[in-house]
Amino acid sequence: MKSLLLLNGSPRGERSNSMKMLSRVGEGWVRGGGKAPEILHLASRPGFDRAVDAFSQADVVLLGMPLYTDSMPALVKAYIEALAPRVAAAQSGSANPTLAFVVQSGFPEALHSRPLERYLEKLARRLGSPYAGTIVRGMGESLQSMPDKANKKLWACLQTLGEQLAREGRFGETELKAVAGTERFSGFTAALLSVAVKLPIVQFYWNSQLKKNGAWERRFDAPYGPAFRP
Amino acid sequence: MRITILNGDPNPASDFQNYLQTLSQRLAAFGHTITQLDLAGLDLKGCSGCFGCWLKTPGVCAKRDDSEKVCRAAISADMLLLASPLTMGFTSALLKRAADQMIQIIHPYFVIEGGEAHHRARYASYPKFGLLLGVGGGSDAEDIEITTAMWKRMARNMKSSMVFTAVANRAPEEVADEIALVA
Repeated sequence: MKSLLLLNGSPRGERSNSMKMLSRVGEGWVRGGGKAPEILHLASRPGFDRAVDAFSQADVVLLGMPLYTDSMPALVKAYIEALAPRVAAAQSGSANPTLAFVVQSGFPEALHSRPLERYLEKLARRLGSPYAGTIVRGMGESLQSMPDKANKKLWACLQTLGEQLAREGRFGETELKAVAGTERFSGFTAALLSVAVKLPIVQFYWNSQLKKNGAWERRFDAPYGPAFRP
Repeated sequence: MRITILNGDPNPASDFQNYLQTLSQRLAAFGHTITQLDLAGLDLKGCSGCFGCWLKTPGVCAKRDDSEKVCRAAISADMLLLASPLTMGFTSALLKRAADQMIQIIHPYFVIEGGEAHHRARYASYPKFGLLLGVGGGSDAEDIEITTAMWKRMARNMKSSMVFTAVANRAPEEVADEIALVA
């Protein structure tokens, strides 16, 4: 039975959208015949340190993260920097595990995450690791607010990807595409959305929390310079 | 022009530090006002995705750390130069820590720009972006290309664009002259 090190790279830790997605992939992994994964959260110091030590012992490492300002969170970059000795180790014949990734972003389209996906694919090559693929998913923040039932299709697809990882050592292209959803808006959709974003209902997720926090009146505050006026 | 340099080199005794020093002296000699923030010496607590800067204390990180200094220096500049050596094929975790906390200078509301979903501006103007990469052992042209692609998208999400990218393998005076042309 193959071993899986499941690493949650979200700075939010256990209660993150990344972890929700990773859990489903982990379930699929077990269903596909893999050993129950060791789960670590990089946001906790002991989790981070253990993740550095355990890296080379796993057959497969699955690292999930949210997209932060268009790349990996600083926490994940710090982890990757801690793996630097594994580059030299691989060059002198010590094998590194197969690498698989999850990138989830708050944007609706997958295109925002593609440059990071390229980086992760290159990282696998740098470490001499077989590359199993990267699961890219937009609208990550809605995982937090939507009931689990609404995400049923997504969960099933993530489980299938986990099974594929256990059985074939890589993610299936069809499932990756299905999870990614919209790659880029069509001209028509973009035009429609340009109008829709002006409706308060579209910003409801933000507005309801601003009001709840008593920050509604201050929502356009600009402490460092002249504020934007549309 | 006012140029803010975010120095993301964690190593205080590196060649890259000397390189930056020569570069910023040259720019200052041209009459530019240089603010260099050495991120290694700042108190940056890092972004933990709490959205406090969007939803609780709009415009300011709820952790009240030196990310305020970074953001103030960015917003008041004409150009923001991100400077870092490449390690494991990307800029330092230190530079990324500062960048992650920069979401306080934009607004959570979604807008559509260039056919893509982005966030609304919080400020009337934003600095142009520049990127200066130190290349040590183990980095290749592909790393530079991928790194630049990620920061170009960041610049776009920060209501700006990347107007300058350079690798610190040429004379710093030469690179400073190029920055002076676009700043």
